[in-house]
Formats: sequence, C-alpha cells, structure tokens
Amino acid sequence: MKSKKLILCIIGLLIISQFIFSCSKSNNNVKKIAVVISTLNNPWFVVLGETAKKRAVELGYETVIFDSQNNPSKETEHFDNIIASGYKAILFNPTDAKGSVANVKAAKKAGIPVFCMDREIDANDVAVAQILSDNYSGCVLLGQYFVKKLNGKGNYVELLGLVGDNNTWNRSKGFHSVVDNYPDLKMVAQQTGEFDRNKAMEVMESMLQAHQNIDAVFCGNDAMAMGAYQAVRAAGKEGEIMVFGFDGAADVVDAIREGKIEATGMQFPKTMAKTAAEYADKYINGERNFQQKIPVAVELVTKENVGNYVAFGKAE
Amino acid sequence: MKKRKIDISNLQPLIALFLMAVAMTILSENFATKDNLFNVARQISVNVCISVGMTMVILTGGIDLSVGSILAFTGAIAAGLFKNGIEMQGMNLYIGMTLFGVIWIALAAGAFLGWFNGFMITKFKVPPFVATLAMLTIARGLTMLYTKGFPITQLGDQFNYIGTGWFLGMPMPVWISIFVVSLAAFFMNKTRTGRYIYAIGGNERAALLSGIKVNKVKVVVYMIAGMLCAIAGLLVTARLDSAQPNAGGGYELDSIAAVVIGGTSLSGGKGSIIGTVIGAGIIGVLNNGLVLLNVSPFWQQVIKGFVILLAVVIDKFNTKGE
Repeated sequence: MKSKKLILCIIGLLIISQFIFSCSKSNNNVKKIAVVISTLNNPWFVVLGETAKKRAVELGYETVIFDSQNNPSKETEHFDNIIASGYKAILFNPTDAKGSVANVKAAKKAGIPVFCMDREIDANDVAVAQILSDNYSGCVLLGQYFVKKLNGKGNYVELLGLVGDNNTWNRSKGFHSVVDNYPDLKMVAQQTGEFDRNKAMEVMESMLQAHQNIDAVFCGNDAMAMGAYQAVRAAGKEGEIMVFGFDGAADVVDAIREGKIEATGMQFPKTMAKTAAEYADKYINGERNFQQKIPVAVELVTKENVGNYVAFGKAE
Repeated sequence: MKKRKIDISNLQPLIALFLMAVAMTILSENFATKDNLFNVARQISVNVCISVGMTMVILTGGIDLSVGSILAFTGAIAAGLFKNGIEMQGMNLYIGMTLFGVIWIALAAGAFLGWFNGFMITKFKVPPFVATLAMLTIARGLTMLYTKGFPITQLGDQFNYIGTGWFLGMPMPVWISIFVVSLAAFFMNKTRTGRYIYAIGGNERAALLSGIKVNKVKVVVYMIAGMLCAIAGLLVTARLDSAQPNAGGGYELDSIAAVVIGGTSLSGGKGSIIGTVIGAGIIGVLNNGLVLLNVSPFWQQVIKGFVILLAVVIDKFNTKGE
C-alpha cells in the first residue's frame, strides 16, 4: 500500500518536472537578458522590472525576471545561475550598494555586462553603466516646496523609511539640507514607518496624540504618505496637516489631484528601465562607450502640475 | 485549586500592563487620554484577532507561522472581489459582490488555508513549524499572483467602515476584537472541544488514549486560526483603504510575542485567551508609548526585545516558585 503511494508520487513528480523542463527549454538562437530586481514586494519595483523586461523583449531578447526578495545572498544565487546559463546581459537593481558589488564583479569576470537601474553600487569600474534616480536632489526640490507651503515656519514630523537603507538617508538628507536652514520650522518628531503603509499609519496616529499642533508631515515614500494621510483623516485633521511623499505612486498622484496630499517627488522607473535595456542592446551589438553614471532627475509633482503626470512617469 | 492557579498566571501580565500604563501616564501627558487609549485599542485589535488563534494553536503544542501571509491573502481576495467582482469574459458574465459576500468568502478562504495547514500536520505528520512555514510562502505567493504585486486601493466608505467606523462610541475594530475574544474565551472554557485543546497540549498521548479525536481537534484549531487571520485581514485592509500585497509581514512574531508575554507556554497545555489579550495590550502600549516619547527607532527595537525577555523570565521564575 505504502510503496504504491510512493510510486504514484514519483510518477507524479516526474510528470511535473517534465512539464517544467519543457517549459524552460530555450531556443538557442535567441539571446537572453536577465532582469534582477531587489524586491517584487513593492509596486514601484514591479514597474521597474516589468518595463525592463518589456523593452528587452521588444528588442528581440528572451527575458527572465529574478526576484532577490531584498536578500543579498539570494541575489548571489541568481547571479550564479545567470552566469551558468549563458545570459548576454544583466539589467540590475541591487539590494545593497556595498553587498552587491561582488555579484557584479563575478558577472564582469564571466564577461556578462551589468547595467544598474535606480540604485547604485559602491564601485565605478565594474558595472558598464548605472542609471540612477537622484533621490537627494529630488528631496531638495521637495524641501524647497515644503518651505514655501509652510511659509518658513511651523511644526512638522518626519517619517523615515527603513533605517538601514541608503535611499532613506539620501532622501532625508536632501530634505533637511533645505529645511534645516529655517529655524522657525521645527521637527517635533522623527520616526520610522519602514516604507510601509500600515506601519506609517500607526506611527502617525501615535504622533498625532503626542503633538497637538503638527502642520506637516514629510514621508520618505508614497506608501507611508498614504498611511499618514489615513491617520490624519481619521483624526479629523484633514486640511490642517499637509502631507508630502516621494515616488510618484498611483494613489498619491490621485490624492494630489484631489488636494489630499501636497506634493511628491516623481521618479521615473520606466525611463530608467528602458534606458538600461537599450544600453544592453547597444553593448551586445558592439558599442563600448558608456558613461558610468547617468542620473535621472526626480521631478516635483504638486497640485499645479499634476496634470502632466501619471503613476510612475509623465502623461503621454 | 486548579481554578486558582489559572487566576494567578493571569495576574502576572496584568500587573505588568498596569505598571506600564502608570509609567506612561507619568511620562507623557498624552497617553491617558480617551483618544489615545482608543487609538491603542484600535491598533492592537489586529494583533488580538491573530493572537487568539495563535493561542489555541500553541495550546495544542503547535505553532502557526503563516498568519501574516493568510492575512494578506484574505485581505487581497476581499478587496479584489469587492472592487472588481468576478468577470467571466467568455460567458459575458459579471458577478458583483456585496460586502457581506466578500466577508464570507474571506473567512472561507482563511478557513481553507488553515484546514490545509491542519491537514498536512495531522495526515502527513509534517511538524507544525514546517507546514506553516511552507504556507507562509505559499499564501504570500498566491497573494502576489492575485494582486500582481500591486495594492488594491480605493475600496469605498462601506468597506472602510469595518476598519475606521465608530459604533456606540467605540471604534469598529475594537468591537470586533471584543466579539472575537468573548467568543473564543467561551469556546475554550465552556465547550468540550475547548477543554480537549488544553488536554492535547498537556499530554497528547494521554488525550489520544482517553478517546479524544486529537487529529480532528487539531484541524479545527488551525481552521479557526485561519479564519481569525481573515478577520484581521479585513480589518487591516479596511483601515488602510488598501489591500497591500506585502501586508502582515512579521505579524507571526508579534502574535507569538503576545501569546508568550500573556503567559501561555510554548510547549502547550497551559495558558489563556485573556492572558494573550493582555500580552497584545503590553506590546500595543509599548509601541504607542515609545512613539509618544519620541524614542529613537533604533532603541525601540532593543527595548521591545528586552520587554519580551523580561515577561517570560518573570513568568518562568514564578511558575518555578509554586
């Protein structure tokens, strides 16, 4: 009885593995490009990955997306597999500026060109090119608008992203490089919302209890801005507290149009992803002359210009 | 005699909660206000719902690591069906969903995933840690498939009432968690199945020999845990006006902490629902209080870890003394 079940199981597994094998068997004449994304657990990165894939497919490549799940060691496994299976290029969104350098080095050694998207790596000579979102300057713009909206005085709170993440601090520093010049703008609390809508809402709820006269909240990404907005609305303080975000996510663009959120910094994941795919195509066709760092400007989106934008980019 | 013992083990975390509340009241004038206390109650309601189920699972000597993923999946299903209904293009058919419809479907989905956990654990003798660890990634993956990685937002006031509405002067999530807790406390103390859960955790072999259908009870427990995750999923989704594909990450740790702080033994058989609610309260007051006092986020994590340790050490110390 038991052995019969076992045999059935094995046969089942064989059939399934056959199915998977036949699916992944690739045509040898088609060149392959790998897209490695830090995490697909966040819509912003889904857009980055899907756009890179789409553009690469349009250019005639077979393309696979790998999800590193924010885990540098998972990323290393992906790189090992990619190097072993003969990909021609890697469109890469690193999990960590320092931790990912070794992976890119390994790919370079194996002759596979790597193009970084959105996030940089801490080395200037291993990736072919790095197409990067300029978080710092974007938040300088936001900071300037913030000061203007508040007329240079008032109390505000800041919701940081993950405190172990480069982008969290690039954004915070850019913002403070402007806002800290105004002594009448007081930061009464600085907490982390971990880039998460729910966490940001709960922290904001508590901060609203601790401080009765908050005039504005600056959030390190749009998910947190939406969470903070929910908390402000639930506390009946809509219109009293201005909310600022960063990213250019769909619901925040809508919220700016409706006057619920003041401003966000629009990043351009689609532009970055397309550029990376096109560079890879040029590289494969023999071009070798690439600038190491290509900054992609972040644009300020406010009620005045929101008509020019859609989620994650410009209106076409 | 036995009754008294349960009372004592309940008292310990209650005193801790009381002391913390007193300390917070002294340290921050904004803590003991009506608004803030409702705030804390609303914030812990999600953890309470999950932890009640977790308590039952741990009482049987098991563990459920899949709670956060089940929460995300059921929340996404509810939000997706409520917003978009079911569209079958081939048959030119569109089925719209009422709020009650999606609530039932979410509960059924939660119960099904819980049943699957229980089935794997009892039928194939997969250790609960492993079976629910597998479900943690399975349900997360299903959520990603269903949402394609994007949040489902703008669900409307009717749906959001579950999470943000007020009823008779109290927030809806608080009512829901009170309802869940009373029902669970009644179930654990007054019904035969409830007593069986304690018996299984105390000594599974003895329970089996005395004729208790151990496997059946276990499956029921995991199903209840799954359904409570679905309730929590509806609460989170309605509160945020958004079903986030990555919702509930790390909730298994929060709820295990609540259960343990509440005096339930991780080896099963000993503990109570009320203790868990107090445990969730302690975590909630801590989360809220550290923000009220504007403690640096780095320190918050360290402090929370030490509080969990302290609670368990005190508990161990006391049970040894008896």
